[in-house]
Amino acid sequence: MSDFWILLTGALVASCCGILGVFLVLRKMAMIGDAISHSVMPGIVVAFLLSGSRDSLLMMFAALLCGLLTTFLIQMFQNSGIQSDASIGVVFTALFAIGVVLVSLYARQVHLDQDAILYGEIAYVHWNIWELGGVSMGPKAIWLLGFTLFVIAAVIGLFYKQFKLCAFDPALAAAIGIPVVFFHYLLMGLVSMATVSSFESVGAILVVGLLIIPASTAYLLTDRLGVMIGLSVGAGVASTFLGYGAAVLLDASIAGCMVCAASLLFIAAFLFSPSHGVIVKKLRLRQLT
Amino acid sequence: MRKARKMNSALRRFIITIVFLTMTAILTSACGQQTTNGQGKLNITATTGMITDVVKQVGGEHVEVSGLMGSGIDPHLYKASQGDVKKLDNADIIFYNGLHLEGKMAEMFEGLEKRKPTVAVSSYLTEEQLHAAPGQGEGMHDPHIWFNVKLWISAAEVIRDTLVEKDPSHEESYRSNATAYIEQLEELNTYAKEQIALIPEASRILVTAHDAFGYFGEAYGLTVTGLQGMNTMSEYGSKDVSELRDYLVDKKIKAVFIESSVPKKSIESVIEGARQLGHEVKIGGELYSDAMGDEGTFEGTYIGMVRHNVDTIVSALK
Repeated sequence: MSDFWILLTGALVASCCGILGVFLVLRKMAMIGDAISHSVMPGIVVAFLLSGSRDSLLMMFAALLCGLLTTFLIQMFQNSGIQSDASIGVVFTALFAIGVVLVSLYARQVHLDQDAILYGEIAYVHWNIWELGGVSMGPKAIWLLGFTLFVIAAVIGLFYKQFKLCAFDPALAAAIGIPVVFFHYLLMGLVSMATVSSFESVGAILVVGLLIIPASTAYLLTDRLGVMIGLSVGAGVASTFLGYGAAVLLDASIAGCMVCAASLLFIAAFLFSPSHGVIVKKLRLRQLT
Repeated sequence: MRKARKMNSALRRFIITIVFLTMTAILTSACGQQTTNGQGKLNITATTGMITDVVKQVGGEHVEVSGLMGSGIDPHLYKASQGDVKKLDNADIIFYNGLHLEGKMAEMFEGLEKRKPTVAVSSYLTEEQLHAAPGQGEGMHDPHIWFNVKLWISAAEVIRDTLVEKDPSHEESYRSNATAYIEQLEELNTYAKEQIALIPEASRILVTAHDAFGYFGEAYGLTVTGLQGMNTMSEYGSKDVSELRDYLVDKKIKAVFIESSVPKKSIESVIEGARQLGHEVKIGGELYSDAMGDEGTFEGTYIGMVRHNVDTIVSALK
């Protein structure tokens, strides 16, 4: 049964990240997942110092606030003309550093970092059961991630056209009266919700990897947004399955294998993509000469 | 038009390949699971090497023990592999250290408790026996209890009582194994006390990279100073380095110690600093702190590990 729950969790994370990753890649903000994974640190430290507990719900709430703050700051800097990669870098290193300083000032003797407090591990999801009135309802992570996926699908589905136009041509979107800034913040809000709930369930490397790699794979395979989202989710889910198979065969870290599988799929698309692939381009050049 | 169709078919082939590979992965993962529970032995999984060793000693021939963290693995940094998941799944009893040594994993053990016995070996220890982690809120304790052999005897008792409760048919064997092992631990405790007493009183100062030796110092009369906090991940500040350096010079400390699971770079910078002030400090040797030696060697057992630490400290400071 553990296999089933681990694969389902992986597939849910891959779907959440796959959908949002497409928009992030298109907007050249793919590293935002990595940024959030670091910048939640001060939130965790402050929450711990105030409450003295390591309750995971509280920690997640603090992390979510920090994630929202991160995305808000990044968006704000970007709106005022700073390069998107630079604003991501500035915000997350600054917040992370604040967290490190807080730990060294007030909490030197505790295991206090996002690794020990917030990050879950996909290998353990099926033991973390949610019980309602004594009845087992299945792993907590499934509910949390299922809810996140539902919200993401609902928001993106409702405002698909607006998101699409904002991603490709924000100037035009603004010209025809779409509140571009609002949709950017909305997207960033979804991203911080998805990353924080996935960090809590499966850990950082898997989330950061699945946010960027499958979306980049899909980017190489198609020029249409709808198809790209589908392919991104597909590649993400496929990597969790392939990765789990590899982890079984090699007796290795599950999250690590899943991200490696995602990278392999990316390399395959990079080489063999019918439109952008290196090999296909070479062949086409040869045909022309 | 024709070109577009060609691209489409290539795309379709890509997708079919992925689907095919995925199905293969599912099949291999489904075939990969099998349990090895022969001859009705109890399957036991323990987190650290120290606990694994005690379970082996007490359980003897009636239990099959598998440890998650091998030699040289820092428990703060441990990541479970797929095989570890299976070990935990198949275990009849799980023993762990507790007191937040295993980080988030312990939270999961507490959740798992309802479905199978998961036991913290620190559960018999009272508030007075435990050290508070300095400067911390309520209920935060130093988890490195295995450095005081007396406390570790209580861990052996937890293991004995749990085994007796879950497998009453072999009660006698568990009890006699435990008694014999606890006797060895008592001897070890006496040995450690006698040996440390050989060090001149002014030199009984133990300087290590991270704060794991609090219980050890208290039990055997050493003053313990560490460069890093208890968490091996926490950064040490430049003030820590210079303070420790001045301390070494001030107290004329002969040797400092490195640890098997912590990089030695940090402590080397302190030694270099002391040298510049004209005080020669040597590295007294490598101590086992959060992990034991290689399996099959003497240092790969709990008793061997403690003896190694005691002997190393005594020969460097005497």
